[in-house]
Amino acid sequence: MSAGSLAGILSVIVVGALCCVSPAMNRPTVQFGVRVPAGRTSAPVIGRQRRAYYARTAAIGVCCAVAALLLRGHGSWWLARIILLAEMAADLACFLIARKNIRDVKNGERWFAGLRQAVVTDTSWRADPPRFPVRWLIPAIAVLVATIVIGVLRYPHLPARLAVGPVGGPVGGTPGGAGRWVPKSVVTAFAVVAGQLYVTVLCTGMMILVYRSRPDLAVADSDAPGTSVSRYRRFLAALAKAMLSLVALVNLSLLLTALRKWQVYQLPGSGSALPLLPYAVGLIVLAVVALRAGQGGYRLRGTGPSQAAGAHGPGQAARTDRDDDRFWKAGLIYVNRDDPALVVGARFGVGWTLNLANPVAWLIVAGTTAVPAGLAVIAATAGM
Amino acid sequence: VLLTIEPDGPVPIYQQIRDRIVEAIAGGGQPAGSGLPSTRQLAVDLGVNFHTVNKSYDILRQEGLLRISRKSGAVVQRDAGSGPPNPDWVPDWTGRLRTLLAEAAVQGMPAADIVRHCQAAMAGFAFPGEGPS
Repeated sequence: MSAGSLAGILSVIVVGALCCVSPAMNRPTVQFGVRVPAGRTSAPVIGRQRRAYYARTAAIGVCCAVAALLLRGHGSWWLARIILLAEMAADLACFLIARKNIRDVKNGERWFAGLRQAVVTDTSWRADPPRFPVRWLIPAIAVLVATIVIGVLRYPHLPARLAVGPVGGPVGGTPGGAGRWVPKSVVTAFAVVAGQLYVTVLCTGMMILVYRSRPDLAVADSDAPGTSVSRYRRFLAALAKAMLSLVALVNLSLLLTALRKWQVYQLPGSGSALPLLPYAVGLIVLAVVALRAGQGGYRLRGTGPSQAAGAHGPGQAARTDRDDDRFWKAGLIYVNRDDPALVVGARFGVGWTLNLANPVAWLIVAGTTAVPAGLAVIAATAGM
Repeated sequence: VLLTIEPDGPVPIYQQIRDRIVEAIAGGGQPAGSGLPSTRQLAVDLGVNFHTVNKSYDILRQEGLLRISRKSGAVVQRDAGSGPPNPDWVPDWTGRLRTLLAEAAVQGMPAADIVRHCQAAMAGFAFPGEGPS
C-alpha cells in the first residue's frame, strides 16, 4: 500500500471516529448546537437523538472505511479524498437531523418559558490574564530551524531534478501516484519550509487570539466565584500545549518529507508513510486532551475557592444560560452583530470559532486562504 | 468576581452592569484600588456593545465609585471602608430606598419580613472592621 492511499484511508477512519464521538465532548446544556436549560438536559428527545446520531455516524464511518479500503487499488489518490468529503457531508446531515428534532421539541414545549436567561463573566480573567505557553513553541521552531539548516547544507549536493508529491505521498512518479520530477530551485527545494512557517504562524496566531478572547463560561457551571474560570484556564492551557505539540509534530512530518526529497533517506513501500507518523501522533494526543477536558473544560473538576453560597446571592432566582440559538447558523457558525468578540467557544465539539459578524473575522479567513493560494501560485510558476 | 447579567431581561443592560459592579464592591470582591476590566474587554466578555459598558462605567464614575484613566484603566475608587458618604448623596438614596420598600409594602409583605430581607441582603456586604462574609 502506498503512503498516499494509507493517508487517505487513515483520514477517513479518524474523521469518522471524531465526528461520531463529538457529542460526548459537549456540555449537557448545548446539544447538537441547541441550547438546553439546565433542567431539561435529561429530556427523552435528547437521549433518543444522541443514540440515533451515534448509530448513524458509526455506520457511516464503517461504510466509508470499508469503501476506502476496497477501492485503494483503483483510481487515483484523490478517490480517498472524495470518500472523505462524502463522509463529512453525511455526518453533517446526521448532526442537522438531530439538531432539528431537538429544536422542534424545545420550541414546541417552550423549554425556556419563564426562565431567567443570563450570561456570566469573571473579572479575575482580565485582572490576572492567562499567559500563553511560549516555551511549548520551542520544539516547533527548533524543527523549523533544523529544516532550514539541513536544507541549506544539502542544497549544493542535490541533483538537477527533484521529486515532488503530496505530503507522505509517493515520490518519483510511481504508478498511481501524483509524484513527479521538477527542476531544482530554491522554491522547489524549500517549499516544505514555507508549509512549516504557515502552520506555525497560523496555529500560534489563533491560540494567541484565543488567549485574549473571553473565557467560555456557562452560568450552569458557575457555582461559586473562581471555579468555572479556573477550570477554563486549565482547559485552555492543556489545549494550547496539545495544539503547540501538534504544530511541532506537523513540522516534524514536513521535515521527514523534506529529508526524503533531499535524498537523505529512502524507504520503500509502507515505509514511505513514515512522515505521516508524527502528524498522526499529534492528532491523537489533541483528540485525547479534548475528550478528557470536554467543551470549555466542563469535565475538569473545579479547584477554585469552594464556597457554600451560590453565585446569585441569597433570595435570588436561579438562572440558566441564555438561549442563543439564533446567533448560531446551522448550529455551527456564529454570527452576532451585537457581540464585539472575535473568537468564541465552539458550539459543537471542543475548540473555538470566529464571530463572522466581525469584519476582522473575514480578514482572518481571507488571510488564511490567501497565503496557501499564493504559495500554490509561486509553486506553479516554479514548475511544481 | 462573577458578573451575571440578563441581556434579554426588562432592566437595561448598562443598568445591570452598573448594579452588579456596585454589589461586587459592597461584597468585598472588588475593594477600593482593585482594577476592573477595560470597557472593551468587559464588552467582549459579556457579549454586549462596547458603548453599553462605557455608559455603565460613566455612571459609576459620576457616582464616585470608579476612576478611569488612560494609563491604569478602570479602578475602584471607594468602598465601604473609604469613609462616610457625601451628605448630598444621602437624601437621593433615601428616596430610592423609600420607593423600593413601598413596593414590598403594597405587595402585602409584613414589616418584619421587609426588615428580615434587608438584613439578609446586608449580610453579604463587607463593612469596615469585618471581613467579607
